[in-house]
Amino acid sequence: MMRDQTLIPAFQRPLSKVVVRRAANYEKDLSSLIQESLEAFNLRLKGKTVLLKPNLVGLDPLGVINTHPAVIAAAREGFLRLGAAQVLIGDGPALDRDTEAILESVRLRDYTGPLARTFVDLNIDDVERVTFKTHASRLKELYFPKTALGVDFLVSMPKLKTHHWAGVTLSLKNMFGIVPGSCYGWPKNVLHWAGIDRAILDINAATKPDFAIVDGIVGMEGNGPIQGTPKASGVLVLGNDAVAVDATCCRIMGLVPEHVKYLAAAGTLLGHLKLAKIQQLGESIASVKAPFAVLPAFQSLSE
Amino acid sequence: MQADPDKSFVENICLPFLRNSQNADGGWGFHPNSESRAEPTCWALQAVGGWPSRESEASLAHGFEYLRAAQLPDGSWPATPADPAGCWVTSLSCWVLSQAADSVPNVAVGLRWICKDWPADTTPWRRMMAKLSTERDVAPINISYRGWAWTPGTSSWVEPTSFALIALEHAKPQSLPPEAARRRKLGEALLYDRMCCPGGGWNCGNPLVYGVPGEPMVVPTVWALIALRHHPVQPQNVLSLQWLASALGSVQSAGSLALARICMKSYGREWPDSAPSFHDLYERNGFLESVQVAAWTCLALAERKGWLAPAGTKANR
Repeated sequence: MMRDQTLIPAFQRPLSKVVVRRAANYEKDLSSLIQESLEAFNLRLKGKTVLLKPNLVGLDPLGVINTHPAVIAAAREGFLRLGAAQVLIGDGPALDRDTEAILESVRLRDYTGPLARTFVDLNIDDVERVTFKTHASRLKELYFPKTALGVDFLVSMPKLKTHHWAGVTLSLKNMFGIVPGSCYGWPKNVLHWAGIDRAILDINAATKPDFAIVDGIVGMEGNGPIQGTPKASGVLVLGNDAVAVDATCCRIMGLVPEHVKYLAAAGTLLGHLKLAKIQQLGESIASVKAPFAVLPAFQSLSE
Repeated sequence: MQADPDKSFVENICLPFLRNSQNADGGWGFHPNSESRAEPTCWALQAVGGWPSRESEASLAHGFEYLRAAQLPDGSWPATPADPAGCWVTSLSCWVLSQAADSVPNVAVGLRWICKDWPADTTPWRRMMAKLSTERDVAPINISYRGWAWTPGTSSWVEPTSFALIALEHAKPQSLPPEAARRRKLGEALLYDRMCCPGGGWNCGNPLVYGVPGEPMVVPTVWALIALRHHPVQPQNVLSLQWLASALGSVQSAGSLALARICMKSYGREWPDSAPSFHDLYERNGFLESVQVAAWTCLALAERKGWLAPAGTKANR
């Protein structure tokens, strides 16, 4: 059973809502912060199944590459408090097939309790073939994990990072992680061959995350997503439109969202890119702005 | 007399888990009650075969039957039964079927597919374009070496190259296509070229990106070392084995621990007493109910060596 995948042109979409919150560190009471922020969205999740899709890339004992487990646990608690019957956590790391090693390196179990029933390794989940309607890339179809397709509410939870091939990796790029490694390998090289920017569009059009929560408490600049420099930005960004959330994140990073190829294209059918179409709550962008360094190949993204 | 804790862990936890996870069609999914697929079926068959018993015979026969039936008309195996195209799983299938009776034709046609499956990043045209590219120094690798891709039409990577080399090594000589020797030479050269410098070990296949050395990882290092284990004194092997041994102390999952032990055993290395225990790691997350992790654990703790010829032997070379 798949969620509603209808694509709505920008001019027909209602305003998107994005909340920016300050959070100086991971020791802060993130549960209350996320809980308060979620209340702004009037989400109806009573009895529903939610899947949190963090960005788990690789072994990360210092906690600067992957979505921090404190943010994941706080989001889980927040959605449970909203009445969700079940909040699963799932990802399919792109570079290492030993997902449990990554989970242990970030100490997710310490924050959420035993993982056997709450975590889904999307790399080795049962799969279902999904035919693309968008044809942004040359991919006609991909297999996706049944768990990701079957939940009622899908939340993309990336970390605020630059990316050495795509410019930035945020809520939309994070959805690469639901493509199963057991079908496409480690890395999921078929997506690179299809064109990263274009594949991001097809995957997001097919899976349409319902919500996004970006861990920008400590992000990464420069040669991200793994080998860059940690950047303490002290923000959480939440929203009901992954494109609007990513556009807001870019503005916080001192980057022009319209200059990020895949984001510019996503603004037509997947969500709102323009400031005028985003209802901004919480902190202003100017008050939390912290320009990120980018590789020379992406200098054109900077404001 | 005290019972061997490793043996009892396998016999009481891992093997019953695997036996109970076998589907009615003979195959295994990645988890109990999930759809049968070639990859977990291959690992489960290796594991069950590594711990022979009367009750395992029927399980093995049924599993081999599933695997033979899953082969596509072109000789390859798909990652998932609905997929009409084959991929890297073909190597695993050929490897495990090389140990089964009545599978010689399946393996022969599978190996032919493997030897015809060239990666797309190193065609003559692409090699010329790469030489002219302004980004040729971003990830400098020797593109005259050609290994295997995860899926057809993509680039060479460490793990699928390792699996193909292992499959070719374990095949009976009469099953090998004529191109096999050349493919193996190129594949081995690719693995050495992709090793992480300066400390040894492998990651997925990017030893250097934007001037920054890639960090080695346990899983690809294990498979590359196993694929190259017939060159045990080669400096790269020695260095990478040292890296693996040094990484053991920080391994935090049963999957990596099991693969590391399989690799060390294949090189005849002692397993350190200080290494974490499988049972302790199992207690954390129950292996996340993964069939392949349970299977790797069985193989790591098995006495049987036939599924993987030890380093330095002349198995099919």
